[in-house]
Amino acid sequence: MSKQLFVDPNELRKPGYVRFQDIPVNQYQKKVKDELGNFTKEQFINIYRDMLILREFETMINLIKKTGEYEGIAYNHPGPAHLSMGQEAAAVGEAFHLDTNDFIFGSHRAHSDILAKGLSAIAKLSDEELLDIMENFLGGSALAVVEKHPHDSVKDLAMDFLLYGAMSEIFARETGFNRGLGGSMHTFFTPFGIYPNNAIVGGSGTISMGAALYKRVNRKPGIVVANIGDGSLGRGPVLEALNMAGMGQLTHLWREDMRGGLPVLFNIFNNHYGMGGQTSGETMAFDILARMGAGFNPNQMHAERVDGFNPLAVIEAYSRKKEILLKGEGPVLLDVMTYRFAGHSPSDSSSYRTEEEIAAWEAQDPLVEFRSQLIEAGVATEAELDQVVATVKATNLRNFKLSIDDNLSPHMDLKANPDEVADMMFTNGRVESFGEGESDVNMPLEENPRVKAIARKERFGMDANGKLVPKNRVYQLRDGLFEAIIDRFYKDPSLVSYGEDVRDWGGAFAVYRGLTEALPYHRLFNSPISESAIVGSAVGYAMAGGRALVELMYCDFLGCAGDEVFNQMAKWQAMSANVIKLPVTLRVSVGSKYGAQHSQDWTALTAHIPGLKVVFPASPYDAKGMMATALVGTDPVVFFESQRIYDVGELFHEGGVPAEYYEIPFGKADVKRPGKDITILTFGAVLYRAIEAADTLKEKYGLEAEIIDARSLVPFDYDTVLESVKKTGRLVIVTDACERGSFASEVARQVTEMAFDELDAPPVVVASKNWITPAHELEDAFFPQPAWILDAIDAKILPLPGHVRVTNQTLNQKLINERKGV
Amino acid sequence: MAVPVIMPRQGNTVESCIVTEWFKKPGDPVALGDKLFSFETDKAAFEEKAQAEGTLLAVFFQEGDDVPCLTNVCVIGKPGDDVSAFAPEGMAPPAAQEAEQAEPKAAAPEQVIAAVAVDSLNMKISPRARALAERRGADLSKVSATGPEGRVIARDVQKLIDEGLVVSPAARAAYQGGLEGTGLGGRVSLSDLEKPLSAPAEAAPAAAAEPEFYTEPMSNIRKVIARSMTNSLRSMAQLTHSLTFDATEIQKMRRLFKEQGEAMGMNRITLNDIIMFAVARTLAIPEFRALNANLIDDGKTMKYFHHVNLGMAVDTERGLMVPTIMHADTLSLKDLSEKAKELATACQGGSINPDLLTGGSFTVSNLGTLGVESFTPVINPPQTGILGVCSIVTRVKDVNGQAVPYPAMGLCLTYDHQALDGAPASKFLKTLKTNLENFTLLLAKG
Repeated sequence: MSKQLFVDPNELRKPGYVRFQDIPVNQYQKKVKDELGNFTKEQFINIYRDMLILREFETMINLIKKTGEYEGIAYNHPGPAHLSMGQEAAAVGEAFHLDTNDFIFGSHRAHSDILAKGLSAIAKLSDEELLDIMENFLGGSALAVVEKHPHDSVKDLAMDFLLYGAMSEIFARETGFNRGLGGSMHTFFTPFGIYPNNAIVGGSGTISMGAALYKRVNRKPGIVVANIGDGSLGRGPVLEALNMAGMGQLTHLWREDMRGGLPVLFNIFNNHYGMGGQTSGETMAFDILARMGAGFNPNQMHAERVDGFNPLAVIEAYSRKKEILLKGEGPVLLDVMTYRFAGHSPSDSSSYRTEEEIAAWEAQDPLVEFRSQLIEAGVATEAELDQVVATVKATNLRNFKLSIDDNLSPHMDLKANPDEVADMMFTNGRVESFGEGESDVNMPLEENPRVKAIARKERFGMDANGKLVPKNRVYQLRDGLFEAIIDRFYKDPSLVSYGEDVRDWGGAFAVYRGLTEALPYHRLFNSPISESAIVGSAVGYAMAGGRALVELMYCDFLGCAGDEVFNQMAKWQAMSANVIKLPVTLRVSVGSKYGAQHSQDWTALTAHIPGLKVVFPASPYDAKGMMATALVGTDPVVFFESQRIYDVGELFHEGGVPAEYYEIPFGKADVKRPGKDITILTFGAVLYRAIEAADTLKEKYGLEAEIIDARSLVPFDYDTVLESVKKTGRLVIVTDACERGSFASEVARQVTEMAFDELDAPPVVVASKNWITPAHELEDAFFPQPAWILDAIDAKILPLPGHVRVTNQTLNQKLINERKGV
Repeated sequence: MAVPVIMPRQGNTVESCIVTEWFKKPGDPVALGDKLFSFETDKAAFEEKAQAEGTLLAVFFQEGDDVPCLTNVCVIGKPGDDVSAFAPEGMAPPAAQEAEQAEPKAAAPEQVIAAVAVDSLNMKISPRARALAERRGADLSKVSATGPEGRVIARDVQKLIDEGLVVSPAARAAYQGGLEGTGLGGRVSLSDLEKPLSAPAEAAPAAAAEPEFYTEPMSNIRKVIARSMTNSLRSMAQLTHSLTFDATEIQKMRRLFKEQGEAMGMNRITLNDIIMFAVARTLAIPEFRALNANLIDDGKTMKYFHHVNLGMAVDTERGLMVPTIMHADTLSLKDLSEKAKELATACQGGSINPDLLTGGSFTVSNLGTLGVESFTPVINPPQTGILGVCSIVTRVKDVNGQAVPYPAMGLCLTYDHQALDGAPASKFLKTLKTNLENFTLLLAKG
């Protein structure tokens, strides 16, 4: 939405045609002899050498997997091995023009990509820079192993470092690039511009786009390359990324100095198979993959097909495309036509293709062809090239031996240090700013209209007589969120925020009202309706070095971003051995009134996934303090909000919500009302219904309920709950989530285990029904009501004399429901 | 060198004592003669004074704990001394974490539960209640459950403890349940376990020496009653209808009178007064005149009353007496109550004016206070009906698919089928039930 763009009926109703440019297909046909003079001899030979290194590396893994040995040395590698033999020319060609400012993200089939990019970086970095990187990476542990062998140069040492680091990582050694926690499909090394490789097909699509966003917004040099396969174009998130990378506002609405499509190159290694499915002709509609760019934006994503069996063709294409991207005319789509000789994995019998087909491609093996071109052009002799082969083989063998030596390259010892992985699940940092310089804002904070409006509000929800302050005069929960968010925007220049309708509209629930005035487009913008791209790009933005605050308008849309939340946001800190920090806060708004697909509390889904911090504040004081904590931290946070209570005033914190900055640590529950007879634990907006129930308990039955607001699900504060249960012996847990598998049920189980002898009754969960959420008019039968809490207490914990239940709490009814699956 | 302080044995029969108060806490310095803690037996209270100096290193029992005599209660020594050797068997060293303490505790309940009688095997009991019972030695064989679905919860065990229904630590292992305790504070002690179960055995041989019976002449009043009752049953066609009504409202009203009626002199109004008021008002309805009547003239004439002269059955030492509250239908509840009390007192004191024992048109007989749930009252001739009032029992009714308890009070109407038929008699009962369940409305009606 933007009032700057006029949707003009007169223009839009005119007749005409959409015209497309021709899409180049393999237009580059030169050989070595045609490029003499454009490359040095060393460059030519190193192209060959690098392809050899890649081939030998993967041959080694292939032999280990298939024969259990390499060069007579037995080794068992039980982990995955997705090989790309045949694709080396494409990988080396791509890396040739890339430097360490250029980031590559990749797929599960990335050994060749990372080695090629690493070799390219080694060629471009100075000796000092290389030594600095090697000495400082993971305390120099990998360097210590490889430097024992004498080296002629730092570059030779660095090549050993690269091979050894990658092998160790693949073999799950502690000296690997990610201490063995990433493995074959996830090996990467950020100092060389090699960013995470993703085992989810197309997973790097949205992430790369986010990294490109980081480069643009933070004025960082370089481009970003997404190395994904032809099969990944069948994945929605990839298409979302192709679109978002070139969304219209980048060229129409963003400020002049930030303008232009994002500097991201979607490099499709088109080996014609998505596992076994043949993309062109069987599973995809594109026929020729390069056609895909034409539909996305007016410049057709500069898409073309390049012959990935000719390294010179790929090098030539990258020299042109990189220039386009640096000019701000991205994104680019490249159809790098190639072929993998090996199967998808060692278990692949290639039942989906003929031996003739494999043989036909092997006959044009780029290594053989390029070698003959070198000789044909007189660049090198057979003897010289044989020497290159011998050196490559020796180097590979040397590093193989080092990487499988259990003394030099041990596995992480999880028996001796059982918490080593556990301690890497979160980075638990506190960083004021991930950016440099001043924050790019439109006005001083105090001039912001929302800030001025909030200054006139009552910061405590009750007046001196205990009467509620009217909604229009009270400082609301949404104001608390706003204050924490705008505060961080002014402190951290790297912070960006986007999602659906966050600009102009101010977010569907008016949390962001006032931010549009405060922030330029590139820091606050409306995303396409692309939940995968919203979350995935935030992950990429953070991986590249920034801090992102993104949102899903409704919790129900979490499924649309399932992979990005569950596999990307959650996992990369630990998979990288904390090399990567992920300061991403994902706001998720839980609805009501809007029926089955707009009213669900899915906290349990996110709490179930290791690696996410999950919080759900229910008062303005908590909302502000916890948002502040989320935004100053270094971990991914799923920040749940409830649409029921955006307008509540602060009723608990004495003195109201402080105007100044403060943080509320995660993992601390809050006793909202002390009591001695029964503990009521709440998650989110049900706090207010629990208070109603507690009032009745007090007035009618003389029972004092202690109400604990969980506030934080991961980490969860069992100490406070146990302390309370020790006192009361009785626990009711209330949540708006459906009962089955809810986080409340999880807490009930844990408390039963932890405090069994303290319990005077089983912990009882009062949750929503295991139904669809019905229409608003019927919601009282679905969401927990104060009376349900009393019913549960009366039936299962402590009979309440004279209480008449409104719900059926009998075991029989429960069993009937369970048999029905509801 | 740390030294333990034991619980002294205050006499040969004392098995254990209760720690009543600690004067020192772990870490406090202790000088010779300092008071450490107080304790009591069933007969006396004592204070234990320090016989060593140093620091109070560890305390094994808390206030309220029942400690077997000669057991270590605490340890005095130098900070750092190892006190673990002094911990009584089954108790964790004091320095240990709470979590570690849980282990011996958790193992212990088996003993008590396995040892108690069969009923207790099926007992549903919360873990907290079980732990409390174990810790304090509560005698679970005497527990009443107040939790959901008959579960014993912590407060039930606390009640046992408060009532002294506990088993001494020494007796626990052997105790099978069910004994009256004679030990400290009423607890079951070893000596109780050793007592033979002798009562029935003693009774049998003693019986032979006694005559099997003795005789006494009937008192006059007894003779009058006997005649009247026999005559009643022989001369009438008596039958009884029963129903119950929800006594929630009249109980509420009774509470109200009791709690707030004193100022108006209404605090002594009883449930029976309330029922009599309702009976009088219901009988006054012309439709039910056949029950407010006498059948006279050898069954040839019905004598209808303009007012209700309500007979009330009063149990006295001498026997049943039925004084009459004249014109009960015209009295306010307060006046009726006062009249009833005055008459009852006069009957019990033997000062009743004999005139007041006649002239009744209907009688109310209340056995509810004696726990009778249903009976067939016998009509006082020549009246045509008598209402028996029974005890209140908790019944359930179906509300929303769940059983909701309510107080049900029984009414049994015996009537003379010569004077009226079953349908009007039942209708009277039903109207009376309605009036009692909506007593406020009846009162308002005046």
